Amino acid sequence: MSAAGAGLDVYGDVTFGIPDRLRASYRTTTYFNTAPDEPLQRWLTVGADGRVRAFAGKVEYGQGVRSGFAMEVAAELRLPLEAVEVTLGDTELVPWDLGTFGSGSTAYVGLQLRRAAATARQALLDLAADRFDLPTSELHLADGRVVAGGDDARSLGYGELVSDAYRRAEIPEGEVELTAPGEFTVLGAERGRVDAMERVTGAAVYSRDVLLPGLLHAAVIRPPSLGAELTALDAGVAAQLPGVVRVVHEPAGPGRPLLAAVLAESDEQALRAADVVQARWEERPGQPSRWDVPGILLDSARDTMLMQESGDVEAGLEASVRTLEATYYAPYISIAPMEPRAATARWEDGRLTVWAGTQRPFGIRSELASYFELPEAQVRVIAPEIGGGFGGKSIYPLALEAARLARAAERPVRVAFSRTEETQHSTFRPAALVSIRSGVDAEGRLVAWGYEAIHAGERALIGRRGSESPYAAPHQRTVVSSADSPLPVGSYRSLGAAVNHFARESHVDEIAAAAGADPVEWRRRHLEDRRYHGVLDEAVRRFRWSPAAPASGARDGRGRGVAVGIDVGSYVALCVDVEVRGQEVRVERVSAAIDCGLAVNPDGVINQMEGGILQGLGGTLTEAVEFERGVVLNPGFARYRVPRIHNTPRVDVGIVGDPQLRSTGAGELGIVPIAAAVANAVYDATGQRIRELPLQRQLEAVG
Amino acid sequence: MPTLRVNGEQLEAADGARNLLSYLRFDLGLTGTKYACGEGLCGACTVLVDGQALRSCMTSVGAIAGGEVTTIEGLAPGARSPGDLHPVQQAFVEEGAMQCGYCIPGFVMSTVGLLAREPHPTRGQVQEALAEHICRCGTYVRILRAVERAAEGADAVSAP
Repeated sequence: MSAAGAGLDVYGDVTFGIPDRLRASYRTTTYFNTAPDEPLQRWLTVGADGRVRAFAGKVEYGQGVRSGFAMEVAAELRLPLEAVEVTLGDTELVPWDLGTFGSGSTAYVGLQLRRAAATARQALLDLAADRFDLPTSELHLADGRVVAGGDDARSLGYGELVSDAYRRAEIPEGEVELTAPGEFTVLGAERGRVDAMERVTGAAVYSRDVLLPGLLHAAVIRPPSLGAELTALDAGVAAQLPGVVRVVHEPAGPGRPLLAAVLAESDEQALRAADVVQARWEERPGQPSRWDVPGILLDSARDTMLMQESGDVEAGLEASVRTLEATYYAPYISIAPMEPRAATARWEDGRLTVWAGTQRPFGIRSELASYFELPEAQVRVIAPEIGGGFGGKSIYPLALEAARLARAAERPVRVAFSRTEETQHSTFRPAALVSIRSGVDAEGRLVAWGYEAIHAGERALIGRRGSESPYAAPHQRTVVSSADSPLPVGSYRSLGAAVNHFARESHVDEIAAAAGADPVEWRRRHLEDRRYHGVLDEAVRRFRWSPAAPASGARDGRGRGVAVGIDVGSYVALCVDVEVRGQEVRVERVSAAIDCGLAVNPDGVINQMEGGILQGLGGTLTEAVEFERGVVLNPGFARYRVPRIHNTPRVDVGIVGDPQLRSTGAGELGIVPIAAAVANAVYDATGQRIRELPLQRQLEAVG
Repeated sequence: MPTLRVNGEQLEAADGARNLLSYLRFDLGLTGTKYACGEGLCGACTVLVDGQALRSCMTSVGAIAGGEVTTIEGLAPGARSPGDLHPVQQAFVEEGAMQCGYCIPGFVMSTVGLLAREPHPTRGQVQEALAEHICRCGTYVRILRAVERAAEGADAVSAP
């Protein structure tokens, strides 16, 4: 696989891209994706003017990490939120970082910034104690100053205390005394975004907005279908068109992907010229189509991993009074961020700077340094604001394209995907097939659970996530396999967890229905982890779910469904109301609860839950990638239907859990249970049990 | 050469066939107006022309010659704090109606256009006006609240 594709290795191979000097300590630390041994000054600085700046290798693509980080630093330094400035995702300015994915920002880097800020707080107190000749117990912090108590209240600003002695402060290896949840003023409070102004005024700079003096616009000639190879290129006419500065054609070679592009003074000139480039392609024969996928998954399943096992499933099934066997299918779906990828590159005195809206600026820097055989210090990657990524923008081949073109042209070059390119030339959430066999006793209690999932793609970890059953059963076995993938696959919000939950939470609903049990009660009887009960109770309370509700089973086109889930250490439960009319499923209401430990930014958690639910409704009801012979047929929004504003249900979200527990992810939870909750509600509304996504395609018209 | 006003400034465009979105972004540097689909289906490129919401990605400069274009940058030029913003922008900030924010300028512009012609829209009218916009982060719950907040503000302003 190409270097760009190596982005997928990040979960399975934690040594990928880690600088040598960090490697030794890296293995011994709990921080799986950053460099906690970097000195305090790399994480946090206090200027002579008292201004506090925090630095992190994470990037902002909608999760609100900039706001969360600012809150954590402000809380530890007893500052108003406005006094903290956060710099993200610039390899020259921030500590090394593996990448922004897997809900690691608040869980790891946010905690590290709190440790840094708490260290700074103690250092400032110690310095002030010396200056005032008072014990630190007689000092306190207020609004950016260390105040000596007593009647003659004297104070020193943070900036006045910064000295060489301060700069020598180190973050201790072990515990740092953090502010307790009971003392929070900023943390855990309802606050908006620190970067909202830029977003409503158009001032926020995204990768597509990086315009440099002397910039050339590139139109890259791309293969018409997956794997097609260029056999001839004639750009004679194109090169003569107005505005065209140069045509670049670097054929593929070892370690070097094909690059053919027209460079012009304006975007439209480049595109017009690319249109008249005569390219002949040899298409790779035997490229599959979407209807081939289930067969490919079954035929090529391999690298099967045992995720959980107890008892003997076969014996358990025999001992059961009722058994159930069902298969669930999820097609490929498109990530479809609003901002198609773009990159701008500039060479200056042998140094390369690339602006690229990637979730992995340090990984991209390594790829660029290795391609151009430069020391990493000669390469700077800056991730500006990112217009959505949802996992997909870890892979960013445009950075290298822009850098190669800029080197060829000796001018800055901008490469930007069109919507069609963004879809056709990126990665997809893998298709998956899940077969479940289960058995219950006379009381409807689970006796046997056999779960076999096949997720497309080499990276078993994609499909592994969220596959384990949380339901008590004496006999259970869960296995997950990888398989060939006709389309390139990559990360997408919660990876395989959303698909595994669709299968599992649909199936337990089938079990409960067959047993005549209320699906909430059935889950309560089988869930052992109390945190599941916490979210389920809260969602049910908000929804006002009642086991005796007569609507259940009435098949009048109105129905309700429930599902629970776990991902990245956080817990979630959803209850939904749907109305089915004709072939349309309208989700009317969603009540949700999340337990993510300490909710640093509760409004941010709710925003992420709402967004995950809304985005998840797309994959639940309408989204599926249509492709034939290696060509995506629905790359645009006309035929790839994502949720729109009139699809919006009423959504209410409750946050439960223990703030003493460390923060776990919040951004990937909403999408995890939504497909099953809606499928279960559709069954309640219509009697149709749909086991294939998207649901609306399988629905038989009602009413 | 077509002339037009952009955010109050009189301009002469060199090329009437120039795509309006490209003209705004690359020739004038007004990058708050976004490209997302290029076929008028997502609303990220929305600007106001003579007060009406228009998809700039589907329009040429020549087609709107003589028109008055307002982009997101023109709603509250020089605003330094939320208090200085246009009421619609302010409502989006107050409701936290954004995640990545890439689609938000388009939503704001369509909302300004809607409230100009219909200061008291029903939920249905709001959904209709914004039906051709996409927020992939799924912040619609908050966008609806923001539009309603802005509409209430319009109420207060127009009340005697």
